[in-house]
Amino acid sequence: MTILDGKKKEVDRLPAFNSVGTYTVDGMKAFDSSWPAAHRDPAKMAKLGSALHRLARLEAAVVPFDLTVEAEVLGAPVEFFEDKIKWPTVKRFIAEKPSDLKFPKELSSAGRIPVITEAIKILKKEFDGKMPVIAYLCCPFESISSYLVDSIEFLKKCKSEPETIHEFMKTATPYFAEIANTFKDAGADIITFREEAVSLNNIHPRYFDELVKPYLEDLIDRVRPPRILHACGQLWSPALEMVSRLVECGAEALAIEESTPMDKAREIADRVKSTYPLAGNVNAYRIIHQGPPEKIAERVKEVIVQGSDMPMPGCDFWLETPTKHVKAFVDGVREHGCLGRGG
Amino acid sequence: MREEVISKLVNTVTSYDVEGAIKAAEDALTAGVDPVDAIEEGLAKGIRIVGDKFGAREVFLPELMVAVEAMRQAMAILEPAMTEKTKTKKKSLGKVMIGTVQGDIHDIGKSIVSAMLTVAGFDVIDLGSDVPAEKFVEKAKEFQPDVIGMSALMTTSMLKMGPIIEALRREGLRKVVIVGGAPTSKDWAEKIGADGYGGDAMEAVEITKRLVGPAE
Repeated sequence: MTILDGKKKEVDRLPAFNSVGTYTVDGMKAFDSSWPAAHRDPAKMAKLGSALHRLARLEAAVVPFDLTVEAEVLGAPVEFFEDKIKWPTVKRFIAEKPSDLKFPKELSSAGRIPVITEAIKILKKEFDGKMPVIAYLCCPFESISSYLVDSIEFLKKCKSEPETIHEFMKTATPYFAEIANTFKDAGADIITFREEAVSLNNIHPRYFDELVKPYLEDLIDRVRPPRILHACGQLWSPALEMVSRLVECGAEALAIEESTPMDKAREIADRVKSTYPLAGNVNAYRIIHQGPPEKIAERVKEVIVQGSDMPMPGCDFWLETPTKHVKAFVDGVREHGCLGRGG
Repeated sequence: MREEVISKLVNTVTSYDVEGAIKAAEDALTAGVDPVDAIEEGLAKGIRIVGDKFGAREVFLPELMVAVEAMRQAMAILEPAMTEKTKTKKKSLGKVMIGTVQGDIHDIGKSIVSAMLTVAGFDVIDLGSDVPAEKFVEKAKEFQPDVIGMSALMTTSMLKMGPIIEALRREGLRKVVIVGGAPTSKDWAEKIGADGYGGDAMEAVEITKRLVGPAE
């Protein structure tokens, strides 16, 4: 939290946490909080969100566990795969045009919002002052393009009907801010904004500038700090970059994954805003899931040296990550986390 | 007239004009242009230009997808007009059948690979997502593809790839199999007996070309 206040110099050690998913199959088994039940039961959600803290001393609890929460509120039917540990997904795409989206008046009782706010309250009661309770939000561009509108059709519309995309974004942004603030009101210390559809793998930065950035700035601005923006995919290439644009969106930190080199991101972020906090980018699958533990600690050290202020997995912990690998990650940060830039 | 129609087919694809491409395809038939020439010299040329720009990061997924859409819609008009004789004239690098093993409705990665293979000149049969082993086998028998591509997004579904390959082999369908998707790797592909691995869409196209061999 101190780092997000811009006072990194005051911390003794960098935190060992993840600002996105902290659920693993080990965690589900250890605390009788398996999917799909943990998506819909606040007590189980709180248990699973804090499982890696209990099992491996991870220094944050995070809810919810998937990215369909917002789409479900807006009318998408969600498949939870009963009796299976599988990512929930939408059963079908419900929107072709902005007016197909439904915005329930009573947000606090819509979809899984009451489950999440209740889970946040349980976690806040137990961990207040000890470690942050984080809630993440799937941002409008990603939520709409991945869970509400057929993704390929949506991408095509970015080219052929930009006015429709504007309309989608304009309609949805204030409502998504309200969802984030509902989590804040319930006690979430940090909101992670997941906008993971805007990498150079998907769109040219000019689409980001026109169709995403103004709305993302507005969304973040409407929510009380501290806030972390999480982006996936490649955000840098020799010719193009998204890092500066994301830094400009106004969150207190930017979390990236391993497709973007940390040293490049550091260089660019410093140009926009000197010592801007960056988080990431230990590969959640190839390093933390696959191990071995020595390699995890080594990589943690490397990302710190390259300029990461909050060494964390690039994405959600992989579901089947062995607990000893999460421990190795936490221990790695504890060991190397005093190394920060400039000592 | 012929040249004009052909260049219109090229240009509508490179300018991402779906309606224009449909109109150009209709014009080509009215003008008596051989549909195979209209595809080869017009649409395919246009899509290759867009594909090269995509590879060079000059254009991105929105453009690529609209260009492929323009090509597909125009093809839908031209193909029924092809005679048996002219069909054999049409060049194809080969038939590729592609599907996401078991996942959700998010098959954007596979759809990109599918589009890129089309751009490269393959005939692509897309089985969609959440495809069980039996369907891979059944459709492989039906379509007799040269290459079968499989994508998996989760480690749990990745584990299903090996048995699918075994099932295909058991049925005597010794087709070239390539795999891809977030949790997969080259080592994994080798371990389960796949013939190739694509880390991203461009790589998937390259490996498919290489595996299908000098038939081009």
